[in-house]
Amino acid sequence: MSGPNLREYGDHAVLVEWEADGYDADVGDAVHALAARLRRKGGFTEVMPGYDSLVAAFDAARLDQSVALERIRDALSRGPLKADEGDSRLIEIPVAYGGADGPDLDAMAERIGRSADEVIALHSGRDYRVCMMGFIPGFAFLSDVDPVLRHPRHETPRAKVPAGSVGIANWQTGIYGLESPGGWQIIGRTDALMFDADRDPPFLVETGDRIRFVPR
Amino acid sequence: MSAKAAITVLNGGTQTTVQDAGRPGHRHLGIPRSGAADRLSFAVANHLVGNAWDAPALECALGGLHLRFETEATIAITGAHMGAQVQGMNVERNRAVGVDAGDILTLSYAREGCRAYVAIAGGLAATSFLGSVSTYMPAALGGIEGRALKAGDGLGLAGPAQGPARTLPKGYIPSLSSHAVLRARAGPELDRLSAESRRYLFNTPFIATPATDRMGSRLRGDRIVTDEPLSMTSGPLLPGTLQCPPDGQPILALADGHCTGGYARGLHVIQADQWLLGQIAPGMQISFRRALDGEAPDILQTRNAVWGTLIPGFGF
Repeated sequence: MSGPNLREYGDHAVLVEWEADGYDADVGDAVHALAARLRRKGGFTEVMPGYDSLVAAFDAARLDQSVALERIRDALSRGPLKADEGDSRLIEIPVAYGGADGPDLDAMAERIGRSADEVIALHSGRDYRVCMMGFIPGFAFLSDVDPVLRHPRHETPRAKVPAGSVGIANWQTGIYGLESPGGWQIIGRTDALMFDADRDPPFLVETGDRIRFVPR
Repeated sequence: MSAKAAITVLNGGTQTTVQDAGRPGHRHLGIPRSGAADRLSFAVANHLVGNAWDAPALECALGGLHLRFETEATIAITGAHMGAQVQGMNVERNRAVGVDAGDILTLSYAREGCRAYVAIAGGLAATSFLGSVSTYMPAALGGIEGRALKAGDGLGLAGPAQGPARTLPKGYIPSLSSHAVLRARAGPELDRLSAESRRYLFNTPFIATPATDRMGSRLRGDRIVTDEPLSMTSGPLLPGTLQCPPDGQPILALADGHCTGGYARGLHVIQADQWLLGQIAPGMQISFRRALDGEAPDILQTRNAVWGTLIPGFGF
């Protein structure tokens, strides 16, 4: 893994970008280690990890962009960015695979030439990292699935995907935090509330956490 | 309707929400900052009635809001010109006015800009989430049940309903027009756009389509495309970013915009001009002007100095 590129993102943010072909676990570790270092350092209004990049935004009235770049370079220079640097928990997520909870399971299994049970075993057979959250509150973008399970999104997104739905999009897997439109292949659903505004904390998982799916 | 309501909503209009300065610092959890889409007009409205600049106030998009005051109150209306009237009499924008119990305030439709702000002395009482009462409708957070106001809602106040009657000094009135010029710096993937597209970006105006709301504004204009098909892994996204999907019609992300995106991030509107994003109405012309190296910090310092002198604590 080579070091990241830094570039200005407008006048009040910096993008840190690594070279990665698909999902790269070392890059994922580096992203989260850097996020942890920048949060400790303070001075940024948003520290947003992605799969192979990180955006750090700041108030340009309080921080010069050149100083922001310098702070990030400094954080990067403080030793290798390792897996265990940021907070990380292992969280088990119970999943009901198939049926009404996973309407795409059977068709997807058939297209990749496996049984539904094999898909379930492969999907729940490895731990995933929470790499990024968005596009809706609590949506967890997870690390890569077994290569056998790679599958493109639906060409036309569904108008409504229920909260807790577990899906696959190419090499990514993820959990819908809220009901929303979505194009991922939905293979199961969890009753665990990824996001609950009335709970403290409202989020079940955070970026950097590890997730294990437990078939129900 | 709450028995203690200081204000009764007679008509919520196109989309009226309770907003404050938003909840920054949670984008990594998928929670956008939200808050007043036009931070400046919002701050001015609060200042005029003697509130802290970031007190909860009403943001009315496009118009149609009708309120009845159940108590005597000091209010101010700023932002988009919507032909505000109290009891059928025109009310000036950008100055505090007193209303009596029983008075009805009506906003008609936005003639310039998109969003008007109505601040009431004392500030509105609303549901707080992660330190802000800003309404974020996609997740039903903050405000009044996390939604736009509707007829019959009762609004409470967090403090005394009367404040000083301030007027905005003449030179201070933010100018809005039907053609917004947004100064911008390069987004991370600007150099991935075709040379022709990069010229268009800064030379030809776009039109905001009806697909314009607090999340974003889809623009129509010359096609903005990448040189080669861009296969990007989704990554973090900030408000004020011009995203360029393969269909060539860019999308400007606004206050409630997604925290992640998978399209080329062509431009990013500078911090000092982000308030103008809240005044983009469907049909409006949008031009981007490239801020030169070192220009954006100067603009920001100057504008913060001017407005921060008038409104304590306010910054763009």
